[in-house]
Amino acid sequence: MVDVREDILARLLAVVATIPNIKTAVRGDMDLTPEHLPAAVVMDGDEETNDAADGSMRPANRPTVVQMTPEIILVESEVGEIVDIGTLRREVIKRVLTDTELNENIVKTGRHGNGAIRYLGCQTDVGWMRSLHGALRAQFLFKYTLRPEDL
Amino acid sequence: MIDYGALLYDPVYAEIGVPATFTVTSTSGGAVADITVIDDTRPKTLPAGSSSDVRDVAPGAFARITEIAENGIARDGWLDAVLSFNGRNWTVRSYELRGSPSGEDQGEVRFLLKAVSIG
Repeated sequence: MVDVREDILARLLAVVATIPNIKTAVRGDMDLTPEHLPAAVVMDGDEETNDAADGSMRPANRPTVVQMTPEIILVESEVGEIVDIGTLRREVIKRVLTDTELNENIVKTGRHGNGAIRYLGCQTDVGWMRSLHGALRAQFLFKYTLRPEDL
Repeated sequence: MIDYGALLYDPVYAEIGVPATFTVTSTSGGAVADITVIDDTRPKTLPAGSSSDVRDVAPGAFARITEIAENGIARDGWLDAVLSFNGRNWTVRSYELRGSPSGEDQGEVRFLLKAVSIG
């Protein structure tokens, strides 16, 4: 069984866990308390193809190109080791786009295949609770080949 | 000064509270405490996709922070602790401090729970 989507999401979680001073790295769980911060959350992304316009005789089980847009949520902490969202933004962009495992072995970008990894952007938000909390949502696009017979 | 713990919380917990076992798992050594909680399990509907709902309960329990502290359990031991009451075992997945006029450390905490078996 080879599921590129799952491999990407699992690797994303491993990558964000390496961001310095991150205390909590989880996937699909936004139930955070101040004890979890600074935290990184990987949210499974929507998956899209361009096959809606493909009415050809192509067999259904042939490979197709899909694009997934997972989201990474980073929440800073004002307690203990202070990690601001600016630092978190730099670290997550750098680590995801330059990760060798993602680029060469899973998505296969550049000379390794026809996959692609793109940084789409981010949104920030801040607010006061016991202390100031800032959060950042960053979106990435992963283009890869879906092979139904490998699933 | 009004003693909210003795005049408000203690009579309420004596009347509708149930015995519970609070087992800390996250800190080294762990700790086990017998406390009193108020069962706050409530029905909940979770949207599952655009046209389907899952109906279940959201398990929760109120407890007095002073009682937990008297048993030597600090706040950093709350998460992932096992709370057993009314014949079921739950894991503390999160919590809400309820505050009190005497300060948050003299008030209540609402533990947000999940089934132990789900992990």
